[in-house]
Amino acid sequence: MLELVNIDMAFGGVKALDHMSFKISDGSITGIIGPNGAGKTTIFNVITGVYSPTAGKIFLNGRDITPLKAYQINRLGIARTFQNLRLFTRSSVLENVMTAAQNHYINSYRENFLGSIQPAVKPDPKINYGFFDALLHLGRWRNSERTLKLNSLELLARVGLADRADQAAGTLPYGMQRRLEIARALALSPEILLLDEPAAGMNPEEVFELNNLITGIHKDFKLTILVIEHHMDLIMNICPHVICLNFGEKIAEGSGSEIQNNPEVLAAYLGTGEEEI
Amino acid sequence: MKRNIFLIIIGIALAFWPLGGYQEGIIILTCINCIAAMGVSILTGFTGIFTLGHAAYMALGAYTTAILTVRYGVHYIPAIIAGGFMAVLIAWLIGIPTLKLTGDYYAIASIGLGEAIRLIIENWQSLTRGSRGFPGIDPYTTRFTAVIIFIMLAIFTFNMLESNIGRELKASRDDIIAASLLGFNTPRTRMKALLISAFYCGISGALLGGYMSFIQPSMFDMMKSTELTAIVVFGGLGSMSGTILGSAAITLIMEYFRDISQYRMLIYGVLLVVIMVFRPEGLMGSRELWDFLKFGGKKNNA
Amino acid sequence: MSFTFSTFVQQIINGLSLGSVYALIAVGYSLVYSILLFSNFAHGGFLVVGGYACYYLLTQWGYSVPFSMLGALLASGLTAVVTERLAYKPIRERTPITLYLLIASMGVNIIIENLFVVTVGGRIRALPRSTFPTGVFNLWEGITISSSDVLSLVTAVIFLSLLQLFLSRTRWGLAIRAAACDIKTAGLMGVNVTFLISLVFFVAGVLAAVGGVFLSVRYSLYPQLGNITTKAFVAAVIGGLGSLPGAVAGSLILGLAEMLTAGFISSQMRDLVVYSLLVIMLLISPAGFFGKKISEKI
Ligand SMILES: Nc1ncnc2c1ncn2[C@@H]1O[C@H](COP(=O)(O)OP(=O)(O)O)[C@@H](O)[C@H]1O
Ligand SMILES: [Mg+2]
Repeated sequence: MLELVNIDMAFGGVKALDHMSFKISDGSITGIIGPNGAGKTTIFNVITGVYSPTAGKIFLNGRDITPLKAYQINRLGIARTFQNLRLFTRSSVLENVMTAAQNHYINSYRENFLGSIQPAVKPDPKINYGFFDALLHLGRWRNSERTLKLNSLELLARVGLADRADQAAGTLPYGMQRRLEIARALALSPEILLLDEPAAGMNPEEVFELNNLITGIHKDFKLTILVIEHHMDLIMNICPHVICLNFGEKIAEGSGSEIQNNPEVLAAYLGTGEEEI
Repeated sequence: MKRNIFLIIIGIALAFWPLGGYQEGIIILTCINCIAAMGVSILTGFTGIFTLGHAAYMALGAYTTAILTVRYGVHYIPAIIAGGFMAVLIAWLIGIPTLKLTGDYYAIASIGLGEAIRLIIENWQSLTRGSRGFPGIDPYTTRFTAVIIFIMLAIFTFNMLESNIGRELKASRDDIIAASLLGFNTPRTRMKALLISAFYCGISGALLGGYMSFIQPSMFDMMKSTELTAIVVFGGLGSMSGTILGSAAITLIMEYFRDISQYRMLIYGVLLVVIMVFRPEGLMGSRELWDFLKFGGKKNNA
Repeated sequence: MSFTFSTFVQQIINGLSLGSVYALIAVGYSLVYSILLFSNFAHGGFLVVGGYACYYLLTQWGYSVPFSMLGALLASGLTAVVTERLAYKPIRERTPITLYLLIASMGVNIIIENLFVVTVGGRIRALPRSTFPTGVFNLWEGITISSSDVLSLVTAVIFLSLLQLFLSRTRWGLAIRAAACDIKTAGLMGVNVTFLISLVFFVAGVLAAVGGVFLSVRYSLYPQLGNITTKAFVAAVIGGLGSLPGAVAGSLILGLAEMLTAGFISSQMRDLVVYSLLVIMLLISPAGFFGKKISEKI
């Protein structure tokens, strides 16, 4: 279970988050909506450790993760995608996924500098090699890399990018780049997946496919999902539970229909006049 | 695998092809320069940390090896390795405060620290004989030694870049925030790159000492550091085969103009500017030689 | 050398004088950085051009001191503009990667330095004694100040004030400051960016020439004199890249540190102290005193 308790996040004078609190139960899909600049992305940034909140605490399964660094939080099983894509554009599609995948296998198997933090994922002894195996390309390197590659290709197939594996990621069409980000996040074998506007820039057909993809991976990978979106039909379709923000404050929380009929939510959107609900 | 066999064949050819003394010298020098350039390439080309002070690590390697062999009679092989590790040790101490910096801040700091190391070597007269230089080093860098070490390190480098560590370095080069959110401890990644590159430069300096039989702090000044980084850019940032080809090309061009030595540096400067103006991506861009062979050069590297 | 108050005061004076020369160089370098966001290593070359121009105008062609100075400023300013047009502009227009500009600027530096080596030789030259007043004033109990120190301090203050006036009072000065915030927007608002960048380089070149002439007086003139700009770069980094007050502050700190080290520890340790200072400063505040902390939105 992920829990935010009274999170404040200030940038200079701007209060991006103001006493934000909510709980996310295991296995749920939660939608986060709100006008632009409401603080949605900032929520993901404080959860994943990009920023440390000005005040408040974040708990993952009862453990305080607020002081941890981004990479440590990641290894506890939280993965995310980015609103403004952050792929390794010059590397191949496959390499993008392998880069992520290796961390939850090779690296977490070898490095125990997290101290008391146990990686969320059980390391796979089939994928494991050290620096000297890498230098000499010994058998362990070959087997591990092969397994890693197969696993990554499997994930690419899952998001419909198997035939693009060798292409440079930056040359993919926009919608595919968004799906590649999802594949890359899944390669981390997370327990919690944070999706930041995964449908932005997609056409209706792609949004429909994305809809199925999200519900599919939710079931197959036993994920807890938080999704930020402006496409209300996507939110209504896949999220039984929705949180609405405005000016860094949580103004409503509940089921989709409750949110849609909440006067404060309507006012927030009418006030900015940018979204239809 | 094919690539490594290819490298070994090149190595055997370089080591055993019958040549005159002059050509032998050029081969040794090329190998020495390539080793240092590979080190800088790992840091600058593959991790995106722009250094202008790596000649200092060559100096550390050169002096450590020279002192160990001449003063303490250590065999040259362990002494060379010790030279590499001395560079690693100092790089680690320097890396702790400076790797937090990015961009031009790191570049200027690396100039400062490189010069500082050179000045310490220069002023530590009792150990290093100061600016007059350190003579009488055993000429242990034969063609055979230089080629073997170069080919070995080249194979290691390519292998390393094609495994987890290579992906880790490139991830923190291309997007350090994304890398940390994919579970990489990015400060540690940057440190790894610095230590590896310092090791290569240390080895290169150690070999240079054994080739020249004489070392002097001024051989490892900012000019030398600049040259190393320029070679890496010339070869193509993010292309290790480019680094090696570029390094060999520059070494040969400079040798070719040895007779008109006063124009050498001038030509070198013009070369730098012309390359940056007309082909800033360098010889190879970020592709490797075999990418051209495999895909006919069509692989898209936006 | 024991600690005496008079040595201390003496070294403070010397330090301020040296720092003011660094400031002239560092400010030009920082100005270019603030607009184009790259370290212009050719800055040292501009300085050398200024030094040699002054030398030849004085000795070979026998011009007066003010005229030779003026000639030096122009020569250096124009070199900077030509460098920008021939080498940097094509690169800027092709790619946003500033690393390529940095490497090209190193190339230009090497070219300028070695053009002098090839044409006039690497010999060390001195500006004629009569160039600047050579008197030494006795301030108090053995504390002296040479007229060239006074002159360099005064000149630096004058030139830096002129620059400040130019940046804050003139139309182009304001445009430069706007461009330092955001060059693209400045371009969209109708500023002629090409001209603006040339202007910035001209100003930087002029300041470098002033520094170059004073350095040739203080030390002597040789093709590698430009290497001393490394220290001005360090000063600019200590102050925060792209910040002009930072560059001045950093330069004065550096000048003082160098001279106090020379006075109380040893002359050989000067440079070492400078670089240690750099590391300490960066440890405390990685973006320098006045540097902008760029925080990227994710
Ligand atoms: N790194 C930052 N520096 C300064 N302000 C920021 C930063 N990140 C976010 N903000 C501010 O916080 C507020 C919320 O931003 P964000 O969370 O991105 O909104 P959104 O709901 O559109 O995702 C905005 O006013 C934004 O300008
Ligand atoms: Mg957002």
